[in-house]
Amino acid sequence: MDSTAWNPEDELATLASDPEVTGMFVTEALDHLGTIESVVLQLESTPGDVKLLNDVFRPFHTIKGNAGALGVTSVQEVAHKVENLLDLARSGRHVMGPDEFEVVLQAVDLLTLMIQELPARVAGAAATDVHARRHALMEAVDALVAGGEGQAAAPAAAPAREAPLPVAVPQRDAAGAGQPIRRDESQGTVKVDTRKLDNLIDMVGELVIAQSILAEDPALARSTDERLGRRLSQLKRITSDLQRNAMSMRMVPIRQTFQKMVRLVRDLGKKSGKPIDLTLQGEDTELDRRVVEDIHDPLMHMLRNSVDHGVEPADARVAAGKPAQASIRLSAFHEAGNIVIEIADDGAGLDTDRILAKAVKQGLMAEGTSLSPAEIHQLIFQPGFSTAETVTEISGRGVGMDVVRRNIEALRGRIEIHTARGQGTTFSIRLPLTLAIVDGILLRVGHGRFVIPTHAVRESLRPAGSQVHSVHGRPCMVQVRDRLIPILDVGDLFAVDGGTRDITASTVVVIEDNGRPVALVVDELLGKQEVVIKSLGEAFEGVRGVAGGAILGDGRIGLILDAGGLVAVMDKSPARQAA
Amino acid sequence: MVGTVAVEEAGTQAGSAAPALAGKYLTFALDAEEYGLPVLKVREIIKVMDITQVPQVPPHVRGVINLRGKVIPVIDLRAKFGLPSQEATERTCIVVVDVALSDTTVKLGIVVDAVSEVLNVAAPEIDPAPEFGDRVSTDYMLGLAKVKGTVKILLDLDRVLGADSALGGRIF
Repeated sequence: MDSTAWNPEDELATLASDPEVTGMFVTEALDHLGTIESVVLQLESTPGDVKLLNDVFRPFHTIKGNAGALGVTSVQEVAHKVENLLDLARSGRHVMGPDEFEVVLQAVDLLTLMIQELPARVAGAAATDVHARRHALMEAVDALVAGGEGQAAAPAAAPAREAPLPVAVPQRDAAGAGQPIRRDESQGTVKVDTRKLDNLIDMVGELVIAQSILAEDPALARSTDERLGRRLSQLKRITSDLQRNAMSMRMVPIRQTFQKMVRLVRDLGKKSGKPIDLTLQGEDTELDRRVVEDIHDPLMHMLRNSVDHGVEPADARVAAGKPAQASIRLSAFHEAGNIVIEIADDGAGLDTDRILAKAVKQGLMAEGTSLSPAEIHQLIFQPGFSTAETVTEISGRGVGMDVVRRNIEALRGRIEIHTARGQGTTFSIRLPLTLAIVDGILLRVGHGRFVIPTHAVRESLRPAGSQVHSVHGRPCMVQVRDRLIPILDVGDLFAVDGGTRDITASTVVVIEDNGRPVALVVDELLGKQEVVIKSLGEAFEGVRGVAGGAILGDGRIGLILDAGGLVAVMDKSPARQAA
Repeated sequence: MVGTVAVEEAGTQAGSAAPALAGKYLTFALDAEEYGLPVLKVREIIKVMDITQVPQVPPHVRGVINLRGKVIPVIDLRAKFGLPSQEATERTCIVVVDVALSDTTVKLGIVVDAVSEVLNVAAPEIDPAPEFGDRVSTDYMLGLAKVKGTVKILLDLDRVLGADSALGGRIF
């Protein structure tokens, strides 16, 4: 096999001369590999479907062609081998069985890895050594091809599972393979650099601000010209339409992320020996692009957990009177201004007694503490918690669910558990519609204005003198009903000029993070507002208590407070407060 | 945004190898001194606007402003150079510049007393920054330009504010 003489450096020559072409090749090839994977998974249940076989064959052919044209022979050779196998299959000369699907999926994985690392390799970085893996894969394909031909030659020996379709492939397809036709389900899409998109959204935001400043201009308010008024409201309609449209451009369907899960569950089911049927619902639900990317890992962890802990082995299921094949439903839908992603299994449900016992044993809580079932369920999100008796390859190392919760909270989402003994568990992830906008309360502190996200606020009050308790002569605690809540003076912390120094004359906003409350002392609540979040940039990364900046109605910036950061400030701030 | 002076297209011919420092500089005043910035680094010049303070940063970081939908930090160059602070006047400006950090380029604003002009500085007019001993660090100077009888300090902004800043390592 000539591929053994493959020199990894030779093939990069063409690519190195044109990084743009590399980029295009990589994006396109990864796209194709994604398509291939999802079609192969469909094909597994209908192995003889010639149309699906063609849908797998074509993208492989394209990858082979493009890789060949760019001189990336390592990729080209793998694609070529698999293409051969698929070509035999679609012309009815080879029967696709479990081994074939496995090898095609392995090829997808290998090619994905190789292509993903291509830009780094071109740039001179070291890449994973795939030589052995690549070699083994190509030999596996060759072996299948050789075996398959044997099968076709002796049809009596061929299993009767699905007769090879001797139907001639339509001529058009054979010819079309030369210039693969890119089918696009939608009406056509344009790939746009996200920076350009973000710029556009920034500018639209500014347009909305400029429009509202204009609309509130006193000179216009005095005007009685009806025509001018009509024109202004027309402008307002157009700008808000434009803003809605611009925002929707950041939204992408969650389909791709969901489809990756199909493969994951298939592999996990095989490994653990539990037959699992995964159904997807609402793949077209659109989410912020970043959410779609960032939700991938948490979903992966949660599905692993469902397969490993949620779903019982087949024999236990049959004994419990359930079908041997477990089912997991992954769905996405809109609800009350949120996006909800649910993972529902029909497994054994959470065992509250076992969770409690385990939590005590692992020292996460004291023995004899009484907790509600919901509180017990929350324990699985504690760092280091695991109920699995043995560490399996899939899960049980006690990392996972706490990371899942952290990742979801970073997306400003929440996670809920509904479980019924013997009937299954449903995890619901609630996410905001977009990451770009936060619903906040506008606060004034001295001359500064701040925004605190509404979801962090518990209540606000104007404390009476008797509610404020001081330590060492400084007001430190405010008593709300029977709770003592530590006070944090925002004016002090942020060194804002002109704030009130008398707490009873100011307003206290009680915020909470992870169950820990803090009372923020502010001068005034200015109202509720939806604000666009802007990052302050890496220059301000180290600033605690600030989540970002919001461009306010007058074009100036208000800092968005970060509840978690402010609560953390309380841990370390005695020195700062005393200073 | 009002009062924007676009200077992006002002100087496009970069100096060649040896007299790399020759070229166009935007000059501005700070206290009693005149400074110059390579004009290719300058994105625009805007009037001083309301700056939102950010907590827990060094005194020379004045805060952030909204530059047409982008949040950018603003540096007070007087504070950075240890000059006495001064109330904003009619002529006070924010010069928006590109600064190279270790792996990215960021936009930031620098507050200066007054912007003077765009000056074409020829190679013979530029002296290397002299050594002043320990008293004054000259690492962040490109050189000194003697033009029309005055000396202008040519700044290497990436070193003043960027990753390898002679004044403090990180951007702040």
